[in-house]
Amino acid sequence: MKKITRILRWILILAVACLMLVLPWIAQNRYQVHIVNNIGIWLLLSLGLNIAMGYAGQYNLALGALWGVGAYTAALLQTRLGVPFWINLPLSIIAAVIIAAFVGLPSFKVRSHYLALVTIALGEAMNLVLVNETPITGGADGIGHIQMPNLFGFPINNDERYYYIILIMVILGYVVGRQIVGHRIGRAFRALRDDFQAARAMGVNTGFYQILAFAISGAYAGAAGALYAQLNTYISPDIFTFNSALIVLTMILVGGMGSLPGSVVGTVLLLVLNEYLQVFQRWQLVGYGIAIIVVVLFLPGGVVELARKFESFRQRWLAGLTKGKSDAEAG
Amino acid sequence: MFLEIDHLTMQFGGLIAVNDVSINIEKGEIHGLIGPNGSGKTTIFNVLSGYYKPSGGKIIFEGRQISGLSAHQITAAGFARTFQNMRLFKSMTVMENLLVAMGYRAKVGLWQEIFNPVAVHREEQRFTEKALELLDLLEVAEFANELAISLPYGHQRRVEIARAMATDPKVILLDEPAAGLNEIETEELRKILTNIHERGITILLVEHDIKLVMEACEIITVLDYGKKIAEGTAVAIRKDPVVIEAYLGKEGNQ
Amino acid sequence: MSVTSIFFQTLIGGIGIGSLYALVALGYSMTFRSMGLVNFAQGSIYMVGTYFGIIWYQGMVMNLHVPYAVAFLIGLLCNALLGIVLERIFRPLAKLDLMLMLLATIGLGFILDNLFTIIFGATGFAVDSPLPNTPWNIFGVRVLPQMALLIGVSFALMIGNQLFLSKTKWGRAMRASAMDFEIARAMGIPTNRMNALALSIGCMMSAAAGILAAPIVYVSPSMGVAVGLKGFAAAILGGLGSVPGAIAGGLVYGVLEALSAGYISSTWTQAIAYIVMVVVLMVKPSGIVGEITVEKV
Repeated sequence: MKKITRILRWILILAVACLMLVLPWIAQNRYQVHIVNNIGIWLLLSLGLNIAMGYAGQYNLALGALWGVGAYTAALLQTRLGVPFWINLPLSIIAAVIIAAFVGLPSFKVRSHYLALVTIALGEAMNLVLVNETPITGGADGIGHIQMPNLFGFPINNDERYYYIILIMVILGYVVGRQIVGHRIGRAFRALRDDFQAARAMGVNTGFYQILAFAISGAYAGAAGALYAQLNTYISPDIFTFNSALIVLTMILVGGMGSLPGSVVGTVLLLVLNEYLQVFQRWQLVGYGIAIIVVVLFLPGGVVELARKFESFRQRWLAGLTKGKSDAEAG
Repeated sequence: MFLEIDHLTMQFGGLIAVNDVSINIEKGEIHGLIGPNGSGKTTIFNVLSGYYKPSGGKIIFEGRQISGLSAHQITAAGFARTFQNMRLFKSMTVMENLLVAMGYRAKVGLWQEIFNPVAVHREEQRFTEKALELLDLLEVAEFANELAISLPYGHQRRVEIARAMATDPKVILLDEPAAGLNEIETEELRKILTNIHERGITILLVEHDIKLVMEACEIITVLDYGKKIAEGTAVAIRKDPVVIEAYLGKEGNQ
Repeated sequence: MSVTSIFFQTLIGGIGIGSLYALVALGYSMTFRSMGLVNFAQGSIYMVGTYFGIIWYQGMVMNLHVPYAVAFLIGLLCNALLGIVLERIFRPLAKLDLMLMLLATIGLGFILDNLFTIIFGATGFAVDSPLPNTPWNIFGVRVLPQMALLIGVSFALMIGNQLFLSKTKWGRAMRASAMDFEIARAMGIPTNRMNALALSIGCMMSAAAGILAAPIVYVSPSMGVAVGLKGFAAAILGGLGSVPGAIAGGLVYGVLEALSAGYISSTWTQAIAYIVMVVVLMVKPSGIVGEITVEKV
């Protein structure tokens, strides 16, 4: 029985992998690929925030601005200095990590909703820097004419080609994320979320891990920013705000707080729904609000909890079957 | 001297919780700390484990001043503790609770932790084995993969002691480990204390169960209103008129 | 104008906008102390309350142009009812994790904002002042009559609320209920109804702020976003859950904003206000009025 499940699992993984590989060819038009690329970028954001918030309990609501730090770093390096993609991407990540670490400093003094407010304020202040420092950032008009990457002579000049870059980054982000949350770092994160004082007494260097949590979400946001800037070739400050952080937060909540698959499910679900529900315009947003409340009240663990419940039900059902059989045999 | 609490004073605003208390603790001893409620026992524990910085005096451990260090540094120096109101990590299994406590001794660095799965796997195995051994010692190994806070109360107490042991301490601070235990469980706890003691670990015990303290501890310090009023063996303490007056007398009146 | 009169001019502007923030902050604090819940929809409630009142005054309903004072009272009443409904919605939330609570109230705000955009359109409108538009000149300081009305009525409401809480039977019952839920219930105080009352008062304060400020600011479905955030900042600045704290926090925040706009740079006003807030939180997390709390280990 177990073996069959395992084989089925591998078949499923393979099928998904194949689907992901050929996706640009089976898409009906370029717009669809663009949407998928967008999903990839939001996926990075939601993975990063889920690690910081869902695991470590660190409210990093400056995420929107950190995303902007990544995007502006890449855009400026690219347009002003002509730094190529494979160098400006890591530099954007580093820039966002450093800023994120600073955003995390208040977590030494304040916690829970106070920390949420402090990070919101810091994020909005950073956004205002983007808006006001016109000579550098282009102000409210933003930065245009960003080149799409050219990797070692091979131009990545359309959505289909860019898709593979995003795919690699998302897979990398997921695998690294799993490695982070699955072992020592993840346990330390959860320890400081579950019981801060007890974590200290167990030798967890809480200050270090708090900053690390912020830095990790910063790294994901930085990567997402660099990818976003070079995908859209144009950026402006209005998307790098608290609102974006809220959207990511909603994705995590719907998918499952403290679960990486939850991040994936939530992000894909919300963005795909977003495309299909465009016809309803504003009513769609009202529906979002209702969905959030329904999830909070009736499914606080998100969609993955639903899957978990189903799995435990299936286990019990299987256990019941085998037990029934052995009972029958015994009888 | 192994562990020296030297003229320790702890003040909160106008309230003096611990007043000029000096206690010397020898390596390997079981040292009891008793006193009525509010006499400053838990405060001394919180200073020892680095939650509070003392207002006056210092704590010397193996010739090194540890008061003023932060909690995780003190754990690294060889202190571990349990809590009066049990503070197990609520989202974790018993095993994970222990693994957290072992984490700071990891030899695998941060980058390896993320990018070297082989090294991580090897270390996890090493830690898991050690954790299982500790759980065995405390007779809760069978619950290793269950959610720690779902266990019965008595078992949670043991898991908490196992978790403290997992930090590989030289001194273990037990804050009322018998609270809420029935007689049989308390007797088992006494055996556990002996086991820990046999491993060469120094035990500092705060406990309301006088019988347990008298039986288990080699030296007992009595506190009252933040001051040390007596110190000695169980026999001596039992006879000490000051103690009878201040502590046992009060209990008797209740 | 002289240096001092410019200063007082700025100060009056700050107190005006500050009393607006203070009323919204009261909404946060009343909800927090009664139900232990941070209501991030407070900004939306402010917006909703404004519409509830202003639509009657502006003749947007059946072309009725009711007097400003009547519209004001209608707005307050409607928002009071909203408060009662909210208490019922929030009741199951109060037991949840902070993060979930936060998200649910954000979701609620989302619903209100978009519902009102659907009904009234995304573009806002200006509201005529019921009072003359020529500013009064008081010792060289020019004050708009509407601004004076905003400050005057706000202060009256704040003092009234404080008197209600401290002097009346209901107010004292509310305070008992806020202090210890279990004991209050054991004493026979209907805690749910007290919470509904607290929320109603908070919502009324927000509506009052919106309707009073409407002729000065611009009315649109997104008007609550910034005010909601600043009101929250003010509430925290004063110590979340404290009623006098909310008032002090609102005024301090408003004056700070006006002074930085007047003396440092108008483009950086927002950023400066945010940074000051962060600094205050870092130095004194319990707020400027709140008491020091020792964290229990």
